Amino acid sequence: MSKDDLLQRKEQELQVELGRKRSNPLAHVFDDLVNFCRSRSMFMLHYCTGCGAIELPPAMTSRFDMERLGIQPMVTPRQADILLITGYVSIKTLKRIILTYEQMGSPKYVIGICSCTVNGGMYWQSYATAKVLRHYLPVDVYIAGCMPRPEAVIEGLQELMEDIKIGRANSWKKYFQNYDYYLGNQQQLFGEAWQTPTDIIAEARHYDLITDQTLGEYTALLEKHQQPLEALEMRLQGQKEKQPL
Amino acid sequence: MSVTHLIVELLLMPLVAFVVGLGMVLMMRRIAARLQRRVGPPFLQPVYDIMKLYSKQTQISHGLVHEIGIIMAVGGYIAAMTLLPVPGMSGLADKGGVVTLAYVLMIPSLGLALGVGQCANPNGSIGISRALTAMLAYDIPFILVIFGVAWVYGTTNLAEMVAIQQQGGPQGWGFMQMPLLALAGLLTLPAMMGKHPYEIYVAPAEIATGPMVEMSGKFMGGLFVMQCFQLYTVGVLYTTLFLGGGENWFTFLVKIFAVVAIPMSIAYVFPRYRTEDVLRLMWKWPVLIALVGLAVVMK
Repeated sequence: MSKDDLLQRKEQELQVELGRKRSNPLAHVFDDLVNFCRSRSMFMLHYCTGCGAIELPPAMTSRFDMERLGIQPMVTPRQADILLITGYVSIKTLKRIILTYEQMGSPKYVIGICSCTVNGGMYWQSYATAKVLRHYLPVDVYIAGCMPRPEAVIEGLQELMEDIKIGRANSWKKYFQNYDYYLGNQQQLFGEAWQTPTDIIAEARHYDLITDQTLGEYTALLEKHQQPLEALEMRLQGQKEKQPL
Repeated sequence: MSVTHLIVELLLMPLVAFVVGLGMVLMMRRIAARLQRRVGPPFLQPVYDIMKLYSKQTQISHGLVHEIGIIMAVGGYIAAMTLLPVPGMSGLADKGGVVTLAYVLMIPSLGLALGVGQCANPNGSIGISRALTAMLAYDIPFILVIFGVAWVYGTTNLAEMVAIQQQGGPQGWGFMQMPLLALAGLLTLPAMMGKHPYEIYVAPAEIATGPMVEMSGKFMGGLFVMQCFQLYTVGVLYTTLFLGGGENWFTFLVKIFAVVAIPMSIAYVFPRYRTEDVLRLMWKWPVLIALVGLAVVMK
């Protein structure tokens, strides 16, 4: 099978355009440069779930040193590119993960570390664990293991780097393109009234990523229950004025 | 000096400053890495970071003042660059002088405060209030040092200061003539750079990088660019005041990199000071040393 055939088949599988050609050759050069820079500078969000988090400090510090690959931790979703889900995701945590994911700036990548994010792992029978992460968020790379060693984590990150470099890591687009599917799965866990502060549909419209899968029965439910966001009232809670002695 | 010559200098000086600043950021990260027995980032890492941040597809703006704030932060430093003499180029250094520079160097902090204010994130507000307090802390010794240096040279003109120092050779450098002021300046440097151990206003683990908390994409990129200028400014200013400026580009670069490297390699060993401790430390030792230094030079 030739390389073009392979690419085409991959395109059909992934349902995204790979290696899109543009009329201006220089535009392509610039895109390649940008993709290269994106792959060499990844800020990962310092948000960890479950037990796999314990493998990240050795991966970041002197023994394995992720910074030599351009990977460094960042503390807010606004600054970050990668969201690492390190271990089992309880339903309560999943809400936070989705809030965090939606606040990150595109292009953004999700990495599922540990078996629990793949299929629930040893929490398979738990009533409070979201078992398959990619039902709720598009995942770029899975790193299986219980827990994967730092070498495996770095290996997975390098795979992601390679994907970004050739423009294949487009799963963040899938979230906009198939929002109805992801929202439906989220509603199954959190109830019909589930909503996040980020307006995904408007964002999809902004990036021109609306497909016939973006809107559907679940987004209709969302619109039915959606409350307009209001600024929080600024006050100190639970502080009573002290009586003068 | 013809107009075209001046325009070329005004364009070149910030550009050169940016490139040298990138090198300083790389050096800073490598020093931190080596002290922690790591390899550190690759050579072009600062460039990758800035390009990546500017090429993010989501650019979350929190309003007009947010954008103006970042422009003020970067623009303030670009303006300051034209006031710092480098070998072969003096730009506006003849006209501006060190007092103008001290004023211009406050614009970035104020711009950042405006921009962060509009983000309405409590972490950002805490961070920026700490940053402005830190500015108050290091500006007092900084102004005292500038005053003493201007008194000794009899001028506030940075280009003239360099010329006076270079006439006397290494013996005539400000470092030899007023060692106490130079020491006070050296103690103030890390605080001006906003790095360890004076980076309580960033404090990633407790207030989520303070002023940077809501910055994403090009806004964060703007701050990364600002950091390059910040390190460069500190290095060049100290070199101009105390180390005789640059005779040529080679000695100039060696001096400014050394000026940034020395406090940094010491500083990364220490944990952070709290804001009140920064204030106490800055207003005690550098101010004390600078005042004694002033008394010595004014006799």
